[in-house]
Parts: sequence; C-alpha cells; structure tokens
Amino acid sequence: MSNSNVPSKFDVVVVGAGPAGSSAAYLLAKAGFKVLIVERGRGAGTKELYGGKIYAPPLREVWPNLDKEAPIHRWVTTERLSFVWKGRVTTLDFKLGRRVAFTTYLTEMAKWMADKAVEAGAVLVDEVRVDEIITEGGKVIGIRSGPDKLYADIVVDAEGVNRILLEKLGLAEKINPDTVALGVKEVINVGKKAIEERLLLTENEGMAWLLMGDITQGIPGGGFIYTMKDTIALGLVLHIGKAYEAAKSGALKDTVPMMLEKLRVHPYFSRIWRDADVLEYGAHMTIEGGLRYMPKKLYMNGLVVVGDAAGLLLNTGYTIRGVDFAVYSGKLAAEAIIKAFENGGPTEENLSLYEHMLKQSFVYKELVKHSGIVKMMEDPTFFTKLPAIVNGMMGKLFEADYEEPTVLEALLESFREEEMSLTRFLLKMFSVVSRL
Amino acid sequence: MSGEVKGLRPIKIEDLLQRTVYDVDEEPHIEIIDERGVPKELVKLCPCSCYSMVGERLLYSYEGCLECGLCRVLSEPWGLRWEYPKSGRGVQYRFT
Repeated sequence: MSNSNVPSKFDVVVVGAGPAGSSAAYLLAKAGFKVLIVERGRGAGTKELYGGKIYAPPLREVWPNLDKEAPIHRWVTTERLSFVWKGRVTTLDFKLGRRVAFTTYLTEMAKWMADKAVEAGAVLVDEVRVDEIITEGGKVIGIRSGPDKLYADIVVDAEGVNRILLEKLGLAEKINPDTVALGVKEVINVGKKAIEERLLLTENEGMAWLLMGDITQGIPGGGFIYTMKDTIALGLVLHIGKAYEAAKSGALKDTVPMMLEKLRVHPYFSRIWRDADVLEYGAHMTIEGGLRYMPKKLYMNGLVVVGDAAGLLLNTGYTIRGVDFAVYSGKLAAEAIIKAFENGGPTEENLSLYEHMLKQSFVYKELVKHSGIVKMMEDPTFFTKLPAIVNGMMGKLFEADYEEPTVLEALLESFREEEMSLTRFLLKMFSVVSRL
Repeated sequence: MSGEVKGLRPIKIEDLLQRTVYDVDEEPHIEIIDERGVPKELVKLCPCSCYSMVGERLLYSYEGCLECGLCRVLSEPWGLRWEYPKSGRGVQYRFT
C-alpha cells in the first residue's frame, strides 16, 4: 500500500475482490463513494475456486447486462442427479424449461466483477494481504497490512470462508469442523465438441451433475460435474467433521486427492473425459450449513460482513448456492451503507439495517427453509443408505435372470439388504425434517 | 459395469500438483509450531498431501499448499502458525 497513486483515506475499504466484495464495491462506487478494494491474490480471481454453476437472477439485479457482458460459458439446460453404489449408477436427468443458471470459471467471473467495480470508479489494490481490521474505542477505523495502515469510514469484510480477520476481531469464533466442507476439483480438458457429443448438448447448453454415494467412501458430501465451454469441472465435497472422524477411526481408505482421482477413473463416468488431460487441480473450503456458520452479528460500528464470511451459502445436496448469495449480500450491504450515510454515518445502529435487510431477503429465508435437508444430508442413515437402496432396487428390477420382482418387492428387498425397514427409514427422514 | 476405460489410472498427488500454477514464496506461510496441536489425520485429509509422517514426526511442506484452510480448522490455534501467502504469492488458479 506504498503505491503513491492511492490516497490514504477512503470512504469504504472492501477486503477481498470476490463476488461479495466486488458487487458491494461496484454499487458503492456507482453511488459516488470513494472505494478501495484490497485483494491478497495477484489480480482478482486468482484465489477463487468453486463448483461451477451460478444462479443468474440475483446477479442481474446488480449487473442488468449480465447475460450479454459476463464471461458465461454455458447456460444449464440439463440437471442430473446420480446415485452411485458399488459400480451401479441410477441417474435422474432433468431438462430445464428455462434458463436460470450458467457455468463459468469463478476465476474469470470474479475478475469481470472486479473490473466492473473499477470501471465504476473503485480502486483495486492486489497482492496485499490484510492482517488486521483496526478498531478504536469499539469502532472499526481501517485495516492493517504488515506495517501499513489504511483508514476508512467503513470496512466491508468480504474475506471469504477462512475468516481470519473476523476471528481476530472477536466477531466470529474458531470454525467448527462440522459446519464446513472441503471441496477438491479438477479441470479436465475435454474439448468443446467432445463435451457436446458425449453429454448430448448443443452449443452454449450446459450440464450440472451432482453425484451421491460411495464415491465419498461414507463421508457425507458428494461429487459434481459441470460443463464449461471447453473443459469439465469434476470435484468432490466432503463434510470436514465427519471426514476427520473417518480418518481417525481408520475407516477412510484413501487420501482426499486419491478419492477424487478414483472418481475420475470411475468405469462409468470416466468415459466422458477418457482421452483428456487434467489441466488444473485445486481445493477450497466451503460452508456446510449456512446458519450454523453465520456469525452472531453481521455488523458493528464501521463494519459489515458479506458473502462466505457471513455464512451465506446453501448446500442442499442437489443444489449449491454460494456466488449468487454472496453477490446479493454485497448488494444489500451497499444499499444499507448508502442509507447509513444519509442518516449520519456508519454507526452500529445505522448499519443494523444491513442485517435486517438480509434477514428479510430470499438469501436468509432460503437458508432457514432448507436447514432441514442440510441436516439430513449429514445423517449417515440417509446419506449412505439412500444410494444403496436406490441402486439395490434398480438392480432387482433390471438385473433379473428370469423372474422380475414387483416394484414393491424390489424396494422392500433392497431395504432388507441394507438392514433398514421402510418404516424406520421414513420415520428417520421425518424426524430429521421436522426438527425444523 | 466391469472394466476400466483403457489406460486411465489415478494420478499421484505429486503429478496432480504439477498441473497447478504456483508462485512459491521463499518463506513458508504455514508452520507447525507444536505437533501435539496438529492432527495426524491431515496426512490423509490435506488435499495437496502437504502433511506427511516421517517416523513418528508429522512434517509439513508449504510449497504445494492450495490455501484451503482445512489444517487451520482441524488444528489447535497453538499448533500452527497459519497465514495466507503475502504479496500475491502461492497458488495461482486459472480455470476454477
């Protein structure tokens, strides 16, 4: 921050040029605020990793020209959900009636969002790691990076899932391993033509494909496959608390990267990318249950918290929403900050509007509404038994040599094989869901 | 569903990490301070296999770190010094 072109006092300092930070910075700069975005990476996007799919409608509220201008790879026209168990695969394949989500690299998308903020007048300083949010008399007054200090009327904390700054500030507690998941991802260079031929897509059409079953070796979580323009993103998401228990008890056979590699060479799935190279490998932490990860308060005198740092991510097992929630929280933060300045400044009382707006928004309501299924996805009964039972039943129906069972017989028999009764399974599901 | 696709074998983590671009800092951004506060399970769980057991000792090498934060979550605060790399160093994601 010794760059002499950068003034030492800003209205707003945004920590992190991710989707949440850049959307807040963009809207605030557009409203005439002097905004500085501080990013630890070399340019915006270089530290970003996610699954592969973004829901467009919340983003269009910030960037109305999103569809024309953003680096969209493919619009998702097919959603698949597969249950994988002992070499058997049962897949639900849904062709969407309209376009709501697209695939892209978040590295690219985050750069686009940051560029938009800079176009609107924000200043982006990269390669600067923020070490501390500075306070004075209970009020946030700026940030520190190494020996350098920078002051602002308000700091927007968009530091991401590893909320080191919030922990130092005392606004968030040490992360509970049961509230986070580890995502690992490979980008495979399949090529545009092969992607479209092998997955029955036309140009610009994309697929989002979630996998559930023994690919995670008993750890709650799942796999994902997203089609980009020329590449395929393949990954695993693993519940960290449960992964740790599995490793500790010796139940976990492979290392995490080997688990992903075994999915890549899986006899069925691998035929999609059979002849393609792995271009890149990466990992990132994600949030397992948003509400449990959320800090007690999302604001204080001179500070608001947005995006992953605020716990705004929903993982139901069949949909994962993080980027659109992050962008929307950035938008609400910007609106609350603008209001706060109209009402005399970013005081604690004025900024409480942000949390209020967030709790009224679809983001928070979605997190509340789906917290039952988030819990259910962590329950081993549900998580490991469902793929086993589904594939067991399909096997009985379609792998019969002479006499086929009825559907009910096949269902009951596969429950019996998994030492589960249908009633107990339904009761269990009901009890998990009705807890909320 | 028998038989693998011909020629497809799991890639070892050392080779997998070759696909990813890094600008490695001269100084480590993460260090084990007290092994007793860092779980050995990280040998299996760390996505870049930065942790390894040499005899009875748990060792960490920062060069392949993907900056995910898993070891910070699973360790005691006094077990690790955990920071992000400075000056834009570390992993440089391109297509993720």
